[in-house]
Amino acid sequence: MQDFLELSLSATASGCIYGLVALAYLLMIRPTGIINFAVGEWAMLGAFGGFFFLTRFEFPYLLGMAAVVALMLLVGWGTERLAVRPLVEKGAPLLAPILALLGMLVIFREVISVSFPPDPHPVPYAFEIQHQKYFIIAVTALVFAGAWLFFEKTLWGKSFEAVALNRRAAALMGINLSRVTAAAFAGGAGAAGLAGLLVSPNVSAHYLMGVPLAIQGFTALVIGGVGRVEGALLGGLLLAFAEQLTTRYAPIPSGYAQGVPLLFLMIFLLIRPTGLLRARGA
Amino acid sequence: MRKFITGVAFALCCVTSNAQETIKIGVIADRVGVSKPYSEPATEGIVFGADDLNRKGGILGRKIELLIEDDQSRPDISAALARKLIDQGAVFILSMSLTPATQQQQTVTMEAKTPQMTPMNSGDTLTTQLQNPYFWQTGPLGSIQIATLLAHAKSKQLKRVALITDNSDLGQLLGRFFKGGLEKSGIQVVAEEVVARGATTAAPQMQKIRAANPDAMFMAGVLTAENVLIFKAYREMGVRFPIHSSYNLSVPIYMTVAKGLINGVTFVDAYDPEKPEVKAFEAAYKKATGKDPFNLHGYGYDGMMLVAEAIKRAGSTDKEKIRAAMQGLTYAGVMGAKGMKYSFPDGKRAGYDPNGMVVRVYEGDKQGRVVHVGQK
Repeated sequence: MQDFLELSLSATASGCIYGLVALAYLLMIRPTGIINFAVGEWAMLGAFGGFFFLTRFEFPYLLGMAAVVALMLLVGWGTERLAVRPLVEKGAPLLAPILALLGMLVIFREVISVSFPPDPHPVPYAFEIQHQKYFIIAVTALVFAGAWLFFEKTLWGKSFEAVALNRRAAALMGINLSRVTAAAFAGGAGAAGLAGLLVSPNVSAHYLMGVPLAIQGFTALVIGGVGRVEGALLGGLLLAFAEQLTTRYAPIPSGYAQGVPLLFLMIFLLIRPTGLLRARGA
Repeated sequence: MRKFITGVAFALCCVTSNAQETIKIGVIADRVGVSKPYSEPATEGIVFGADDLNRKGGILGRKIELLIEDDQSRPDISAALARKLIDQGAVFILSMSLTPATQQQQTVTMEAKTPQMTPMNSGDTLTTQLQNPYFWQTGPLGSIQIATLLAHAKSKQLKRVALITDNSDLGQLLGRFFKGGLEKSGIQVVAEEVVARGATTAAPQMQKIRAANPDAMFMAGVLTAENVLIFKAYREMGVRFPIHSSYNLSVPIYMTVAKGLINGVTFVDAYDPEKPEVKAFEAAYKKATGKDPFNLHGYGYDGMMLVAEAIKRAGSTDKEKIRAAMQGLTYAGVMGAKGMKYSFPDGKRAGYDPNGMVVRVYEGDKQGRVVHVGQK
């Protein structure tokens, strides 16, 4: 029983990280239809932001955290302006910004790779090592509650939903599509950066940490569905529990448990491509 | 008279041209891929070695010119780069990439009869899978690492141990060598776990190990972030069995990223800070670059010095003569226990002395004293 409780806590914390990355995908996919695989690199940037503000300049934790989120909002906004908006304005097909963002993924990674020494960089815990899991869970709960309130209770959130349902009709109703897209990318980068910052005390900030997080977050999104914010969290938690329970209890060699996320991805894409939670009114 | 002046001018031109001609050494490093953390400092060691030799006049009166390429640790790119370096006139290639990439380069160097060496790869198969007389390896083999660790652990009377590694190519390879060495010694491996690259926790693996109740845990992983996860899970679960690790723990980054987690961990190393050659190397490196070197720099430096020694003994840059000089070389370098020499007698191309590794222990967050030497 002690094992199960320990594992539940560990899986919940991991699931929260996956959920935040899935939320980053979702914030951009809903209003624009663009899948941005650079979210993993954004998480990596968030981790390096943590190293920069918290380790190198020793900011108080909450101030450093706010600085990382602010930096990531800027990164997301800048990415949209540089790699997405010019293509959308020229009427390029949807695939064009997706490919441009893959290019940005490489740029983000290489910039970090050449700007910092190759070894992992330490990022401090918010409190003590044994409390980090609770901290991750609490911050994630706050972020998801905020996102849910934003979409359900604010006019801005409704405008996101309107764009998600029908871009042309939303534009005709006076919603500024460019502003919604820029806000979606800024929010996505904020969520991904926060995921990177929260996981970095455990894994350190290193330039190759982005891709695994991008895969785990995308799988969580497919499981939970892109229709609702809470789906991202649900998908992340289910994925993390499946990974860790399989590793711990399944009578298979430990190495094979690594295939669980990909197995989940295939099963959901084949059987329930809309994910567990569908959009309201869909 | 006119003919004489023309002749003298021609002779002078030839002499100047020969004096300026460099000896080209190819280096295949990883600057952006997964092995960058190891490749980069080791390559810095090569650059320092070449600069040092050039300051002293070079080899055979000629300066060394390093042609450095980046293969991202990708075997497909690596082989193409080996070909490119040979076409550019490299008389020797130093491979500072991952074992599979080095293996792939061999297909080119064997065909092109170009000497090649890896100063840092530890895969045992590099000199056994392909009978390439133009290839040598100086990094301590995985089998030497586990044998040295086991020799140290012999006094602990281990009967049941756990083995944990990561899913990188090298981590898997070392894991296999570790398991083979443990079983050969009659020690039962009661739990065998893998932490995947990109994992966010090692808690499930550590729970399984805790449930198996081993006398000790052996770590064969080479991915720093994943190894730190293992240490965190170990501390969080309050387990007490001792940890014995591969040479990956000898990289000083653990003193920073695993602060407070590594006290008492023993690890195998090829670097003895008390060795006179190490002290001289560290002082010279710091003087030249302003930075403190560590063991990975030493691997690269030794590699460069071995190549220089082979060319000196060959007395020319003829690849066949360099090959013959290399095979038969004995050399005492920075790496290895006190008194250790690399040696390449006929038929032996893995030159690291099986008794040349040491076992060290972390004291607090610092890499501490040598507690054991060799396999006896």
